[in-house]
Amino acid sequence: MRKSHPVRRVVLASAATVSAVVLLLSLKPASDPATASAAGAAPQQTAGQRPQGGARAGSGTVTGDAAQTQYGAVQVRLTVSAGKITEAEAVQAPKGGLSDQKTQLAIPRLNQAAVTAGSADIDSVSGATYTSEGYKKSLQSALDKVEPAASGADGPAAGSSGPAQARTVTGKAAQTQYGPVQVRITVSAGKITEAEAVQAPKGGLSDQKTQLAIPRLNQAAVAAGSADIDAVSGATYTSTGYRQSLQSALDQAGD
Amino acid sequence: MTTTLAGGRAARRQTMRRIRPRRSPAVPLLLAVWAGAVAVLWLWWHNTPSIADDTGRILNAGRITGLLAGYLMALVVLQMARVPALERRVGSDRVARWHAMSGRYTLSLIVAHVFLTMWGYARQAGKSLGDIVQQTVDSVEQLPDMGKAAIGTGLFVVIGLSSIGGIRRRLPYDAWYHVHLLTYAAVFLTFWHQISTGNDFAVEPAAKTFWYGLYGAVTALVVWYRVLTPIRLNVRHRMRVEAVVEETPGIVSVLISGHKLHRMGAEAGQFFRWRFLAPGMRFSSHPYSLSAAPRPGMLRITVKAIGDHSARLRELTPGTRVWAEGPYGALTAQRRSRGKVLLVAGGVGITPMRALFETLPGAAGDITLLYRANTTQDLALWDELAAIAEERGARLMYAVNSPEGERPDISAENLQRKVPDIDRHDVFMCGPPGFAQSVYEALRGAGVPARRIHHESFEM
Repeated sequence: MRKSHPVRRVVLASAATVSAVVLLLSLKPASDPATASAAGAAPQQTAGQRPQGGARAGSGTVTGDAAQTQYGAVQVRLTVSAGKITEAEAVQAPKGGLSDQKTQLAIPRLNQAAVTAGSADIDSVSGATYTSEGYKKSLQSALDKVEPAASGADGPAAGSSGPAQARTVTGKAAQTQYGPVQVRITVSAGKITEAEAVQAPKGGLSDQKTQLAIPRLNQAAVAAGSADIDAVSGATYTSTGYRQSLQSALDQAGD
Repeated sequence: MTTTLAGGRAARRQTMRRIRPRRSPAVPLLLAVWAGAVAVLWLWWHNTPSIADDTGRILNAGRITGLLAGYLMALVVLQMARVPALERRVGSDRVARWHAMSGRYTLSLIVAHVFLTMWGYARQAGKSLGDIVQQTVDSVEQLPDMGKAAIGTGLFVVIGLSSIGGIRRRLPYDAWYHVHLLTYAAVFLTFWHQISTGNDFAVEPAAKTFWYGLYGAVTALVVWYRVLTPIRLNVRHRMRVEAVVEETPGIVSVLISGHKLHRMGAEAGQFFRWRFLAPGMRFSSHPYSLSAAPRPGMLRITVKAIGDHSARLRELTPGTRVWAEGPYGALTAQRRSRGKVLLVAGGVGITPMRALFETLPGAAGDITLLYRANTTQDLALWDELAAIAEERGARLMYAVNSPEGERPDISAENLQRKVPDIDRHDVFMCGPPGFAQSVYEALRGAGVPARRIHHESFEM
């Protein structure tokens, strides 16, 4: 029977909730403790950068160790040319449920960051922290392997890939409503071993669609070995452009 | 004289031996609810190593509000599961107020969760706040179980709107009630996206198990107490309308016969939710208090014709089947902590007081009933009350308006004059909200501690 004060109650509940949420958010560190410790381990990273710093003309493909994360393993493969990372891709990444989406979101960004940075010192993708951490670990282990692989480049090719006849072909850019799509493929023994988009629609919603569609299309291209791949729903124009450019790359590879 | 006194004291001791006030489990329950909320926040804390930037902060605020909403949603449903511990120990009225309060709060959390999450995703995709609608459409299309969640959220908003004071008063009770039942569908629809897209449940199998456990337990309680228990009750007791009696102009009693009705466990002061299987009445149930202690073959409710439903009661024909759910309510002898009891009734609030007046154990002079009505004609059940008072040696008083329509003065001083040792009484009270509020204040002024004023109010 105490007097009720509805307005006071609403104000109090809102204020308490907002302050609790703000407090919780502000108590969280801005960067991952794991990242911080990785940054502290600077010497290791310098070691990883050796191939880049060295004038050695090391080239080839190296695959890092699989790094376990809470959501599954992450494993990175690098293509190194003249001691520089020219390409990075994840051969394993978390799958299933929400992980699929996070992987689709994070992996292309991490690949790009790895190529840009040339080292494992890259930022985590927010919302995919665990995947990013795993990626960085595997990337570091791949970088650690680069030197032996590079020194072995004179002798027989180290690793399973890297036969001499592997070559890279870039298809013609295909125009779509949202911008051009251009596909580059690596062909080895007449098979597509890798596919990537060197150009894809950008800006606004396109960024998201590209992030969603391109990794799937790359994978589909390698799996199908032809341009006969399914469009990614929700990204039909990009898919069509991708297929056109892929076909043109395949035509060139066939020559 | 001496023997009478000794007898009185012995009888009082006898009575007191039976008085074991049961503490309401409200405080431990509320503590458990808070502990659960802390656990949910800890889950977020534990699974969030760091927050990189503002986008991360927005998304994490979305996660926190989402987790809390998911947790509270289960409790909001639980509050209406008619669990006896809540209905009979905490009190149906208090639980209904908790339900309304936490329902509003949960809906606000849901709205905040949707807004913050979509804003965060939009920022993550390099878009501005203005693209939030497009972002929502995209997320609903692309993320698992989000279609269902969107429909569920829409239902929650409709349910919330229909319960806003002004709108609710304009809606027929049945319409509001059936819209409210959609809550079950909305909870079901929004549950799955919590599991499939909730970061914390993907990471933490234990959290997922806890969530399934929480929702599973609530579902089991709802099915048990809202579906199976009433079916068993009605199959066992097979109630029918026996007679309808006009007590005073506008107040009718409905006599209900059935099988072994004393075995239903109903106590004086409690109510059932009644559904009369007559044309136009079968789709809604209404809470009415028992106006007499249950007898083996007969229950009685007394109702004032204020709404559509209560006005139609007088047209009920004997033999009409009755579907009852209950007993509910905590305004019973269990609340009593003293030998002396003052019952205060306002208008048709006499119904539970009449039942308590008849059954509360007590020696002569222990029980007093104060009955407030507009005129002496409106004092429903007066003859019965007078008979009970005579038989038990209880005191019966009434307060009506003066012939000029002046309201009687129920003040602390007047109460103290009428009941000199009022501060040593337990007070049970039932009546319209304004009346209850003024009597409450007068009682407090007369020195009755708040914990000994027992009252049920269905005002939100």
